[in-house]
This record gives sequence, C-alpha cells and structure tokens, in this order.
Amino acid sequence: MIIDLQNLRVWKNGQVICSVDALAVQPGERLLILGGNGSGKTTLLRLIAGLETEYTGRRAVQVDPGQCVYIHQRPYLFRGSVLSNVLFGLRARRFTKPAAEPLALNVLEQLGIGQLAQRSVSRLSGGEIRRVALARALVLQPRLFLLDEPLAEMDADGAAAVLQLLADMRQATILIASPTDLPAHPLADDYRSWELGGSIPIAGQSGEAANDSRSSGVIQNPNTDKRRTKYGRDS
Amino acid sequence: MQLLWDGLQEAWHLVSTGDALVMAAAGRTLGISVLAVVLAGSIGLPLGTLLARRSFPGQALLVTLCRAGMALPTVFIGVVCYSIFSRRGVFGPLNLLYTPWVIVIGELMLALPIVVSLTHGAIQALDYRVSETAKTLGAGLLLRWRLYVSEARIGVSLGILTAFARCVTELGIAMMVGGNIAGRTRTLATATALETGKGEFGRGLAMGLILLLMALVVMLVMARFARQEET
Repeated sequence: MIIDLQNLRVWKNGQVICSVDALAVQPGERLLILGGNGSGKTTLLRLIAGLETEYTGRRAVQVDPGQCVYIHQRPYLFRGSVLSNVLFGLRARRFTKPAAEPLALNVLEQLGIGQLAQRSVSRLSGGEIRRVALARALVLQPRLFLLDEPLAEMDADGAAAVLQLLADMRQATILIASPTDLPAHPLADDYRSWELGGSIPIAGQSGEAANDSRSSGVIQNPNTDKRRTKYGRDS
Repeated sequence: MQLLWDGLQEAWHLVSTGDALVMAAAGRTLGISVLAVVLAGSIGLPLGTLLARRSFPGQALLVTLCRAGMALPTVFIGVVCYSIFSRRGVFGPLNLLYTPWVIVIGELMLALPIVVSLTHGAIQALDYRVSETAKTLGAGLLLRWRLYVSEARIGVSLGILTAFARCVTELGIAMMVGGNIAGRTRTLATATALETGKGEFGRGLAMGLILLLMALVVMLVMARFARQEET
C-alpha cells in the first residue's frame, strides 16, 4: 500500500488535533476524506504530505518526496503570471523552458483556462486561483495527490473538468478532503468515502489489522523529538 | 532665508556648469555607496533569509544584534575602521587607510545590519503557505530562497533603499578613514562639511542640495523599477 497510518495522533501545543486509528490506501486508489469543520481533515492531508512533524504513531508513506503534491484549502499563487506559476515545479525539476512551456499550456488548456496563461495572478477570481493551483500540481504528474477541498468556489463545469482531469491520472493515488460529498457526477463514483474518526480495515484483512495495531501500542516517531521540531522546522 | 536662496543659486550654477570637483565628488559618492550596498545585499539577503527560515542556537541573539546594528553611529564605525586599518591595526599592512576602498568597507558595516534586519523581517512575515507550496512542488533550497526574496520584494527592496540612503549621506566614515582628500576620497558629504567649515555656506549648501537631489533620483528610479516589477 502507498499510505499506511496506524494509531496516529498529530499534536499541536500539547493537544491532539487529528486522530486516526488506522488508514490504508492502495496505489491508484481514490479516497474522499469526509469530516466536519475542525475534524482534522486538513491536518491529515498535511501529515501525509510531510508538512506536520509533531505526531505519534505509525506514518508510512511509500512515495518519493517529489512525487507527492499537496494543495492548500486556499491555494497560494506566487507573484507573476499564471504561466510562471505552472512552470514553477517544472523549473524545480530542471526542465528547460522550451520543454516545460508546452506541458504547462496544455494543462491550462485542459482546465479551461488556457486564455489566462499570461495574466498576472493578482487579477484572478477565487475559482480561477484554484484551477491555476491545480494546473501547477497536475503538470508534475504526481504519484500521490492530496487535495484540500478542491471543488470549493468552483462552478459545475469547473468541477466536472477537474474530476475528468483527475480521472485521467490513472497512475496517481488521489486523496480529497471535503466537508460534503462530491457533486453528483459519474466520475465521483470512483471515490471511496471515508469518514475521519472512523477506521477502515486494510483490504482483505477485515478489521484485524486495526485491532492488532491497537494492541501493539503507540510507536514513537523520532520526529516528535523536541529538538528536531524546534530546530530545522523550516527552510 | 537669503542663505538658502544663495545656496540654491550656487547649486544650480555648479550643476549647470558641470563643476569638475563637484561632479567627481558626486560620482565617487555614488560609486562607493553602490558598491557598499551591492556587497551588503549579496551578504545580507542570504543571511537575512537564513535567519528567517532556520532556527539554530544563537539565532535570536544574532537577530537582536543586527537590529541594534541599525543604530550604529557612523563615527563609531569610522573609529573602528581606523583602528583596524591604521598602520598599527590588524589590516594596517594592506595600506588601505585614506583610500575609497576603506570607505566601502566602513559603509558595508553600516549597510549590512540594515539589509539583514529588514530582509529577515520581510521574509518572516511571509504567508506560511509560500514555503509549504514551494516544498510540496519539489523546489530545492536555492529555488525556495529565491522565491522568498521575490515574494518579500517590497520589504527587501525597502531594506536595500534604506541602506543606500544611509551610505550615500554618511559623513563619519568618509571623514575618519577617507580623510577628505580632494580627487581621491572626497565625497559630497565631506565636501559639504569642508565648505561649511571654510565659511563658504553657499557652496556647502549647494553640495548638500546636490547630495539630496542625487538620493532623490535614485529613490525615484528604484520606485519606478519596483512598479514595473509589479505588473
């Protein structure tokens, strides 16, 4: 499996802000994480993305760092044009400009915002910002894709375009956090719903793994070491 | 009031006739300040970013020292430079005293704390999503740091401008370690002090006004540059 979490607790200022007994995700799976406000959906995605460092329990994510992309609930676009944003990750991967630009423009086209390529990000609407952030991540063809409420502020056409693009990424494992079900759409059926707070058994082992992990106790993660979290938290 | 008017007329006369001494002093002032600020920028931008993005023992102390360093009096830097570069000083054998180079070094000491402190502040104030987004998109350290400076451009360029403003108008360093030697180390500030000291208030005022004008032009050029960046 690509993600395996057991007895996981994410801490902030001495309080547990996200708690997962067991979650296993197979490669290529599509998972919809449901939960109300404050249930820890965002924290869970951030943990899987490696952005949360204070946790206890088992967190196994079998993917190279560059292969996992997380999109914030309210995405941040870097100053400059839409195109320069979509090119950012490709630049990080040392693509040359002639090689990267057609890829970027193609993704923008597929998301229905090809005409915005040269526009400054300061003149985009909320829905457009979301699509640009999606394009910026999609162009990297990540193996693991973590989306925090990607369809908020998006009209029906936009949501359908996004679902179609995600469906086309056959190789990718996709996790979507949302407070509500996905909009009615044939492609939304691909997603397995999972309520945060509950536990899902690992496929084929119906419930036993979850019990096992409970009895085995909490595995201390070295990342909870105070020095590690205080020094070198960011760069 | 009459004095100010005389100064304005004299300044106009000096600029319009292209007075060789004044022009040379103006050029030297600009050259020394630009060089000092470029050096301060190439050290201060990475250092400020480092202080804003990494926690390590002594980091808070370094930030406090840099902030305190923004208030360094130029005469104090002048004395320190003098003691280092005078014949009996550590760098005495380099024979740099009373050359423009030692003024550059002194002004670098003046500019560096300003650039570091304001860069640190501007980058620390960035939205937390900037670094997270860059990381999740796979950006390496160099690309991330360039991104931080670019995202914090307003605060960072303000730091550079402030440093330049202090360097171009400073008197203490140029006077003490430059020596106000005509044709070699005379800057507009030391020339202003000299002319005023000689009782040539009009010329002194004129020099001061030219200095002011020069600082104003640089600020306007930078402001325009920053606006173009915006779009």
